[in-house]
Amino acid sequence: MPNPSLKVVDVAVEFSGLRALNGVSLTLSPGEIVGLIGPNGSGKTTMINAMTGQVPLAGGQVMLGDKQISGLTPRKIALEGLSRSFQIVRLFNNMTVLDNVESAALAHGCSLRVAREKAQTLLGEFGLSPRADDLGASLSYGDKRRVEIARALAADPAFLLLDEPAAGMNEAETEALLHILAGLPKSRGLGLLIIDHDMSLIMRLCDRLHVLAFGKTIAEGKADEVRRNPAVIEAYLGSEAARA
Amino acid sequence: MSRHLLTIAILAGLVLLLVAGVEALGIRVFNRIATNLCISLVLVLGLQIFMGNSGILSFAHIGFMGVGAYTSAVLTIPAQMKGMALPDLYGVLQGIQLSPYIAIIIGGLVAAAVAAVLSYPLMRLSDAAAVITSFALLVVLHTVMTNWSNVTNGPRTLFGVPRATDLPLAAAVAVLAVVAALAFKESRTGRLLRASRDDEVAAGALGVHISHLRWRAFVLAAFVAGIGGALWGHFITSFSPNAFYLRETFVILGMLVIGGANTVTGAVIGTFLVTGAFESLRAIEGALNSARIFREQVIGVTEVVLALAMIAILIFRPGGLFPTREIGALLARKFTKRKHAS
Ligand SMILES: Nc1ncnc2c1ncn2[C@@H]1O[C@H](COP(=O)(O)OP(=O)(O)O)[C@@H](O)[C@H]1O
Ligand SMILES: [Mg+2]
Repeated sequence: MPNPSLKVVDVAVEFSGLRALNGVSLTLSPGEIVGLIGPNGSGKTTMINAMTGQVPLAGGQVMLGDKQISGLTPRKIALEGLSRSFQIVRLFNNMTVLDNVESAALAHGCSLRVAREKAQTLLGEFGLSPRADDLGASLSYGDKRRVEIARALAADPAFLLLDEPAAGMNEAETEALLHILAGLPKSRGLGLLIIDHDMSLIMRLCDRLHVLAFGKTIAEGKADEVRRNPAVIEAYLGSEAARA
Repeated sequence: MSRHLLTIAILAGLVLLLVAGVEALGIRVFNRIATNLCISLVLVLGLQIFMGNSGILSFAHIGFMGVGAYTSAVLTIPAQMKGMALPDLYGVLQGIQLSPYIAIIIGGLVAAAVAAVLSYPLMRLSDAAAVITSFALLVVLHTVMTNWSNVTNGPRTLFGVPRATDLPLAAAVAVLAVVAALAFKESRTGRLLRASRDDEVAAGALGVHISHLRWRAFVLAAFVAGIGGALWGHFITSFSPNAFYLRETFVILGMLVIGGANTVTGAVIGTFLVTGAFESLRAIEGALNSARIFREQVIGVTEVVLALAMIAILIFRPGGLFPTREIGALLARKFTKRKHAS
């Protein structure tokens, strides 16, 4: 039986009066890669926080198939199969890289031995084996990001939500990451939601795009169609111009 | 795996070396100091089990030491002495007189049971709130000990506890505590708890049931503290509730913090160092006082020095002497690095 889809329905999030999300709906199915893009402050991170239970909803629901998961604690949502990375990396700094990755498997009920095997395999896939015994705190920025993704995968998630995974990586690292991420839906059957500002990465990786601006959806659909959407160009050029 | 065994071998070896040395010397004072060191080691390791893995400072620990000490005392004071030592003791307990070895284990179990009930609602708290409630818990336990005259003789000294703890017993329990602390640290619970210690949000997002794991560690820590307290009671043979309060809390915390709360190695090294420093300073203090070099008696130097050492460590090496890696892992890494280099 294929996994059910993850459905965000008309979700709203408020921070002391500010509407960070205002009626956003999004569906993520197993086996697909969706890019969540938009200018800074448009509500992308808040979207992941809303899906994983880190912020309370002011409206709407998050559904996993027929089951409502919004309102559950982040822990219970994680056990339902949602795994995430953080925009500002959150590693277990006083633990080794291997222990970091193992912890996710352990939290999902693996035995110590299985967790170790899983973690070693993942470290190999991410080219992190030489770092296995180093402490989280001692890693380079790019390595920290990779460990965080490997850790999220060790939970064997049905859905993986990545918040700017390529930020701070150089071109070669980004290329390697793209290669790994692109293979995940096939090899693991998971649905991948990815936030990133690297448009070349997003365009090459994603089947569909979802564009936010000021907490609202301004466009969604096939990647190359969305790219030509005037509202998107406007939002991006506007923000790029303002940033420059 | 082998590095864990190496850690156990080194730390247990340290304890055994101490015992062998003291037994060889055959000096009574050293025997007393070494026995006290082993008992402190049990208490510090118990605290490490909770504090080191959860990252939460707990003041309540020594309260559970008291629970263990009083439980074991009440169960072992000879029946004919109970009339004098505990005149208001409940009828059911008057006739009971167990072997101290069984009573010590019961002491640990009762401390664990009390901890299990009292701490469950507290384990959701983090940071300052958790520290303050643990302190409140110590005060509550102390107040109960000073006022429950039927079983503790109130604030007065409780006499007549049979002597059962000697250096080999204390050392054996200390070695067991080393093994228990390391095994817990490497268990599923210990690993996930350490993840939550480093980042609560990330651990929660992985599905770690943080409050439940903290509770397990707290109960195990109380069990070890109860055993330590009972051991101590059967060594000192008379005590009052003040033995289980702020001074002891401060000393045990000092040992753990100086050595490094995150590692079992730190707990062991901290206990050895602080005990060594304490006993030396006390000897110097005694010598100064008997030589009458100063007009007034010199008192409290040991406490002041411990406090200063703690402050210095917290400033210059906040994680303690062994902040992250166990001694076995450190040596194994050195060895493999050298192999790679050559
Ligand atoms: N915890 C918070 N408290 C208050 N405001 C927040 C919080 N998190 C995000 N915001 C606000 O919500 C808006 C959306 O933020 P965010 O989701 O981080 O944007 P993005 O990830 O798209 O850059 C921003 O205006 C931000 O300042
Ligand atoms: Mg963001």
